[in-house]
Amino acid sequence: MEAATSTKVPKILVIATLSGGYAGADYVGQQHLHYATNTSILPVRCPSMFSEDFYINAFEKGIDGIIVMYSGTDSPYKGGPERTAQIIDNTYKQMQERGLNTRRLRLAAICTVCKKPFLKQVKEMNETLDEIGFVQDELAGKGDG
Amino acid sequence: MTETSDLKNEEIKIGVYTCYCGGNISDVVKCEKVADALREMPNVVVSRTNMAMCSDVGQSIIEEDIKSKGLNRVIVGACAPSLHEQTFRGTVSRAGLNPYLYHHVGLREQNSWVHGNNPGEATKKAIRLMLAGLAKARLLKPLDAIKLEAEVHALVIGGGVAGLRSAYDIARRGIRVTLIEKTPFLGGRMAQLETVFPTNNQAREDLHDLIEKVTQHPNITLYTSAEMVGYGGYIGNYEVQIRQQSRGVSGDIAEAALAACTQEIPDEFNYGLTKRKVIYRAYEGCYPSDPAVDWEHYDGKPLDIDGKEVVFENTIKTFDLKVGAIVMATGFNPYEPPKGDYGYGELPEVVTLPQFIRYMGFRESSDELTWNGRPVRDIAVIHCVGSRHVAGVHDPQPDGILNNYCSRVCCTAALHQVNELREEFPQLNVYDFYNDIRTYGLEHEAYYKEASQNMVRFLRFHVDERPEVAAAPAGDTHPVLVKGKDYLTNGLEIEAAVDLVILAVGIIPNPVPELVDLMKIPVGDDRFLLEVHPKLRPVETPVPGVVLAGTAQSPMNIQESCNAASAAAAKVSALLAKGQVILEPFVAKVDLEKCDGTGKCVEVCEYEDAIAVKTITIDGKEVQRAVVTPANCSGCGNCVSACPNKAVEVQGWEVAQFEAMVEALAMEVEA
Repeated sequence: MEAATSTKVPKILVIATLSGGYAGADYVGQQHLHYATNTSILPVRCPSMFSEDFYINAFEKGIDGIIVMYSGTDSPYKGGPERTAQIIDNTYKQMQERGLNTRRLRLAAICTVCKKPFLKQVKEMNETLDEIGFVQDELAGKGDG
Repeated sequence: MTETSDLKNEEIKIGVYTCYCGGNISDVVKCEKVADALREMPNVVVSRTNMAMCSDVGQSIIEEDIKSKGLNRVIVGACAPSLHEQTFRGTVSRAGLNPYLYHHVGLREQNSWVHGNNPGEATKKAIRLMLAGLAKARLLKPLDAIKLEAEVHALVIGGGVAGLRSAYDIARRGIRVTLIEKTPFLGGRMAQLETVFPTNNQAREDLHDLIEKVTQHPNITLYTSAEMVGYGGYIGNYEVQIRQQSRGVSGDIAEAALAACTQEIPDEFNYGLTKRKVIYRAYEGCYPSDPAVDWEHYDGKPLDIDGKEVVFENTIKTFDLKVGAIVMATGFNPYEPPKGDYGYGELPEVVTLPQFIRYMGFRESSDELTWNGRPVRDIAVIHCVGSRHVAGVHDPQPDGILNNYCSRVCCTAALHQVNELREEFPQLNVYDFYNDIRTYGLEHEAYYKEASQNMVRFLRFHVDERPEVAAAPAGDTHPVLVKGKDYLTNGLEIEAAVDLVILAVGIIPNPVPELVDLMKIPVGDDRFLLEVHPKLRPVETPVPGVVLAGTAQSPMNIQESCNAASAAAAKVSALLAKGQVILEPFVAKVDLEKCDGTGKCVEVCEYEDAIAVKTITIDGKEVQRAVVTPANCSGCGNCVSACPNKAVEVQGWEVAQFEAMVEALAMEVEA
């Protein structure tokens, strides 16, 4: 194994809420629907726990695209979705300051049975990454973003 | 059990287990490669595979390894965490390890089941996910679950057979129950049935036996015309608000009011075939026996009762309850076909099966079956109306959803009705147009056999060639013609002249959008409330302490509804019987050395008394520090991202653990 400096396939990280996107991803699995293997899903109670640094650090580690699948209005946590949206908004600004294409980061409300929106988000992120290239290139000043 | 202090200087020894899941994972993912890759990693003492880690054998392997190899962290890659994370926490706990030193990696729903078309990459992904799990496991800390007093009191929503059964089963175990029913009367849909399969008992007799048990039970408090309108709290300590409308007529003038009332509307009990007054009883013998005012339709005009003009007023009462668990028994509605579908709503001789059952219930007994005053000698029954819809053949419902599921009970219910008709009216000809006969259930096939032997003519149509129902030409011997192809006779065109068409309609859930919004209960593609897992956690919702009973969950017959209701009651009883609930320890924790009392965490917290800046003494000095009240903390993590000193973490979900996982996921993996 080696560090992610010679990434061949873009890596997508999905941060998914237990009450929304993570259960939605399980539902997609129960339906045996297919999506790209470059997608790794991490469960989270509410993404409001992550500050802007977390996303910036993830990009710097070699994650090419991040989809935050939060629960939106279905969130069981008061104030969590609003705070998440605010943090993502702040992160966009930091990404711009660092020359990172903001399309690498998406916030989407995904419910427990949102199979089509889940698949759509993964597909669109892959299309975006095909277009804008790897994050390491962008950080090195070689990207299209 | 391992305590935090025991682990501080202890070498981290991790056991890694990759589950075949009986082929569900191993048919796609090369599990041995995953195990081999993990075996080489630092801190991994043992890396094994097994056909079913959740089996007794699989769990024993883990327990034995913990004891013999001194493991102090365990990872299992298997099905979704929602299914077996708790199982394996129990496993490690039995071997003496703190249960929160276990980490579960989902390799089935989020890998093998979605990447079956790409086994090589699925194996790489499995390794990547397990490496991320390993990264987290290294940073796991032992935690203690939170024990809270629980209200030994359950709320049951819905006064149909499932709600009644649940309420009774919970109450007889010594737990207080509040049962609320939205309408003024108990019984739900079961009250609208006559004889029921497979017992051939009278539905209302069975129902009334149960109602009597419920209403006589000292642990049960009943509210009719009542709805839940407010909801908060958590498992063991839900705070709900109930809104109850008044019955409108009290005992002494109830009968006089009923007699004096002349305003009528279609009677929903008889599916609109008859009318009822707006001061009404659902049916003779209903419970409660007092009439009630239908506030939705009452025009507000005074009634002349014993020479006095009386206007009825709805006095709405709202009150709060504390309950430990909630049973959702919100029931179903029969599907109502759109106007014109099979002639429904246009031809008076086309009715749904529930309508026909009601008709058979209220018609005056005679030797001859009649409809609209006309003798009925030929009947057509059409199956799968509102069920098993196919895109391109059927239109979606107004909400855009296609009813593509099988309603399960309508075939047997239709054949049960047909057999009764043939028995009561032997001269009756019955044409049964079906797509598939699905008389599932123990001995239910007997209804099909009986109907076959009893000269019911079965005609099988294809779903894209549904029978056509039309008015017969004037002067015809029958009012309706049903045309279709019969694929039991190689697609022979059939035309049946009939006096009545009965549509065996499906089941749709009773819509409860307000409750779904309030409680955040997931709803499936078919609109039914969704359980966590149909086999492993069949009555639980993802909302802890909220369970499902009966047809709110899926189409069920009465037996199945009662079984599901009893299962829900068992779940609630097990939860509340001890008077305390055990909550996950995933709440905020403040590092007092990093915290300097800025209060940013308090600013973003929306939970009352969850976190506050307080004056505490450290090393003899009074300082301001954030202090968490675990019972009030939701573990959302708002405070974590708000703290400028990174002094707050959600236990078990620490940012450092996520950062370690992300680092692992960013690595290139060879398989």
